[in-house]
Amino acid sequence: MATILETAAGAGCFNTLLAAVDAAGLRGALEGPGPFTVFAPVDDAFAALPPGTVETLVDNPPQLARILKFHVLAGAHDQAALVARQEWASLEGAPVPIRRADPFEVKNATVVSADVACDNGVVHVINRVILPG
Amino acid sequence: MTPPTALAAEAATKPLIPPSTHRYADIIHRLEAGGSMLPDTPENLMQIIGIYKAYAVPMDFYWRDLLYIAEQVFLNPLPAFKYFISQEYLDRPCSYSGDDSKLRIWRGGEKAHPELLQFMERGETVRMPKLLHHLWHDRVNMEFAEACMQAMIWHQGMGGRFNDYLESAAYRSNADRAIKAYFKRNPLMLGLYKLFPEMFLEQVRQLSYTANLGLFWEVMAPVFFEMSDIYDEGGFKGVPDAMNFLVNGIFAVAGRPIYHHVFIDGECLEIIPKSEGFTWLYEAALPYVEAVFYRTAPFRGTKSYNAQAGQVPADQAEFHYGILYADVFPVGSAGIPPTLLMQDMLHFLPPYLEDLYRQHKRGEDDQLVQLGVTFQRSMYNVTSAVIQALRCALLYPLDDPDPEHLLANRRFFESQLDRFLRPEARLPQIQTQDYR
Amino acid sequence: MILLLPLLIPLVAVLALPLLPGDSVLTRQSAAAAGLLQLLSGLWLWRHPPADLTIPWLPKLGLNLDLGLDGITLPLVLITALITTMAVLAASSEQGRSRLFYALLLSTNLGLTGAFLARNALLFVLAYELILIPTTLLVATFGRSQRSSAAIRFLLFNALSGFVLLGVVLAMGWLHPGGVSFAYSDLAADQYTPVAERWLLAGLLLAFGLKLPLVPLHGWQPITYSQAPTPVAMLLSGAVSKLGVYGLLRFGVQFLPDTWAAWSPWIAAIGAITTIYGALNAVAQLDIRRLVAYSSLAHMGLLALALAAATPLSLQGAVVQMLAHGLITALLFCLVGTIERHTGSVMIPEMSGLMNPYRGLPFTMGLMLLGLMAAAGVPGLAGFVGELLVFEGSWVAFPWPTLVCMLASGLTAVYAVRLFNRVGFGRLDNERADWLNTTWPERFPAVVLAALLVVAGIWPATITGFSEASVTPLALRHTDLAYTASAAGSQSTTAELLA
Repeated sequence: MATILETAAGAGCFNTLLAAVDAAGLRGALEGPGPFTVFAPVDDAFAALPPGTVETLVDNPPQLARILKFHVLAGAHDQAALVARQEWASLEGAPVPIRRADPFEVKNATVVSADVACDNGVVHVINRVILPG
Repeated sequence: MTPPTALAAEAATKPLIPPSTHRYADIIHRLEAGGSMLPDTPENLMQIIGIYKAYAVPMDFYWRDLLYIAEQVFLNPLPAFKYFISQEYLDRPCSYSGDDSKLRIWRGGEKAHPELLQFMERGETVRMPKLLHHLWHDRVNMEFAEACMQAMIWHQGMGGRFNDYLESAAYRSNADRAIKAYFKRNPLMLGLYKLFPEMFLEQVRQLSYTANLGLFWEVMAPVFFEMSDIYDEGGFKGVPDAMNFLVNGIFAVAGRPIYHHVFIDGECLEIIPKSEGFTWLYEAALPYVEAVFYRTAPFRGTKSYNAQAGQVPADQAEFHYGILYADVFPVGSAGIPPTLLMQDMLHFLPPYLEDLYRQHKRGEDDQLVQLGVTFQRSMYNVTSAVIQALRCALLYPLDDPDPEHLLANRRFFESQLDRFLRPEARLPQIQTQDYR
Repeated sequence: MILLLPLLIPLVAVLALPLLPGDSVLTRQSAAAAGLLQLLSGLWLWRHPPADLTIPWLPKLGLNLDLGLDGITLPLVLITALITTMAVLAASSEQGRSRLFYALLLSTNLGLTGAFLARNALLFVLAYELILIPTTLLVATFGRSQRSSAAIRFLLFNALSGFVLLGVVLAMGWLHPGGVSFAYSDLAADQYTPVAERWLLAGLLLAFGLKLPLVPLHGWQPITYSQAPTPVAMLLSGAVSKLGVYGLLRFGVQFLPDTWAAWSPWIAAIGAITTIYGALNAVAQLDIRRLVAYSSLAHMGLLALALAAATPLSLQGAVVQMLAHGLITALLFCLVGTIERHTGSVMIPEMSGLMNPYRGLPFTMGLMLLGLMAAAGVPGLAGFVGELLVFEGSWVAFPWPTLVCMLASGLTAVYAVRLFNRVGFGRLDNERADWLNTTWPERFPAVVLAALLVVAGIWPATITGFSEASVTPLALRHTDLAYTASAAGSQSTTAELLA
């Protein structure tokens, strides 16, 4: 199996996410042993944000890192494990609520494709960028 | 058999969720349709854009001087000249206007607005030395900006990480370094610092909030200027358009870092470095809206409150003295922060607003009150933009096909409007044009 | 002949007004001009004191046009002219049926001036009666919602007053030894039997007590003052009430000194009761017009006290207080009228925040503060001068009634502050604050009255200087407090007195 980032690169619809990870300097962390649970927003999710949002974040790595870390949980959890709890602590610190089991919804994003297993964790593909608050 | 397009059209028009039963149901429905709490009329649009522009010019001074105070004046024990902004800060390029800006919001220049400079020359009276203008109080009322800062620091925990960071060890050590550097040639103050370290630290916290507010308004000023320019070209078709411009603006700048740098003897010390990751949206905008639009504090000198009789809420979250709840009539007294802002805005009213005010109530004699009411309307619009932005960030699109999602949106809107159920809220008044 | 001028001017105006085009601005201007001319003629007479004038009219009845001015009546004529002019200017510019309105106002003025100028008791009564019909008509036709009941009450009380007065004066005239004579000089010299004097004085107290008014004969006053239109209220409270005081002074103190002195403790008591009654009621009022009416009642009680004491100082104080009170009450009614016209309300609970400089009536409220301070007797304004003289003069004769009156005077501050606090300060209701600010023409009468209050306050000689010489001979008590008969019939010529 590939690492999380290799899986994402291979899928072809996470270009914005990977660029953001690089800009935030999180590549090293995400290549580590982990394990991590990553909610990965597709490119369309970033495009759906109002214009300028991503550019501002990309220009400011610490702020971008914060948003990205909100998409990562410690430990590898599949869908069954995730829906068992109401909310999970993200690496950023703020909690990520699990709003629905079926369809599987994490905060205000729907999981398009769950349980993509990788070497160092699990990836769940989401259709919206989730934000703390 | 009805054709497919007609079926689709029918499904689109049939509402997915039943109507709201909230007291402000029609406003909720308007929000769900993408509108603002302020009704969409041409006069409302004219009023709010005009007052945004009138607000943005003094705001240009506020943010520059706030940063001047936070970064240069810093811990000056007798800051008699903190409002005498340096040319460097008047010329400091705004990050969101000017040709060299990375994210250009306003088409205009990056230095201080020309109308502001014109006003600083003459004020309401004549050309005099700056000190005389200052003493005569014929200047931009910076006291309003400082009152906003004090509201933010006093109410503290309103979300974001900023306030917690100010209590952290990292901040303490940063602040300690800055204080010692600032007073390195002043043994008296250093001795005082040894005796009362918390006092100095508290001052530095206030200055950090000053920087926070300055960086917040650095964004809002070009946003308002651009809105005024777009309106002059006829680019806004209604109040929702103006609100959406604000929503987009909020998102575009949401990731802006909030920091506090101090310049001591030409050297830059970072008290709150950018690397802490504080964002404009979470650490500046949302606390500002909560502290200044909703809460604030009762203004001394207009009314007496008997705390023992519970006339001021014991719970800070219950405070309702912000602009959204304000009784715009200044009770004959000057000097309370809202009156200061109104006085500032009076100097920069666009001609179409002056014409409007001349036609109603007492014309030129009570312009201050009329523009105060207009300002209240405009701030409801800004609050609507914040609510819609939060909905967009944390909830679902307005045209989401899933009824569960729409109900979640609705619960969010209703909880926001619940804050306006109290009698002091001016939400019902702004629904009619008679409220002037 | 020049003495006829203050009478001829309003007479001509009353006759000429109906000839003017109906409801034009000319009517108001002419009426104001007439008042102003009368005032100027009065001022001229002040500077050039004329001799008494006697024109035979109906000698068989004893009715002659005996006219004269002395130190008591001159200021009263002046203030009547002043208040009439200010009342005309305070009238609304959209006054309906203006010719009738101003003609009636000027007829009242004519009656008042005639009564003050008269040196003949029957002429006095004639003028006194002349006032009745115009004032009743003014209240009945132009008054507010309860005008009919106010007018009826006013008519009944004042008609009774006139009727009783007529009886008393006729009796006095007929009792004159050596044939019927109503001339003041004759009446002053007359000595009546004690019984006759008592009946006469009782009648006078009833008649003038109804006019002043004094408790318990005041039933018409609050409702009439509050239902009358502003100019009428100004004239009634400012000038017509002074007729009662003048009558008591002239007919009671001067013509019936023995019984007056004997009854003076009771009169002083009535004065004190009136004052405290008026003040306490004023504190309780919610209608600002009634508040001012009761305030006026309270100040009338002071005058009764001063007349009862009848020391030189108190009599002088009575005249001064008449002037000061005339100014104060005219000012207050004028301002109350302005407030009513602009805000549409007179109830205190409905008003607040009128001092607001942007949407309130700050100028009016500023002047109202001045008027209320004057009513409370704050030094530096005319009210203090009057009250000081009254209290100082009455204290030596009747300490307890004087104390009660001083207490009531303190209560004036209570209702004045309460009124001003409720109406002036506080939050102005944005939804209802739809009115325009006052304009300078509107403010003019109030400004004039307020200015005079201030001038008289800081330069008291302007109002005290008139009367000293005239009232001293009338005094019944001097420093030794023993009753001394006044110099019989001391009707020195006006020239001597006003030197």
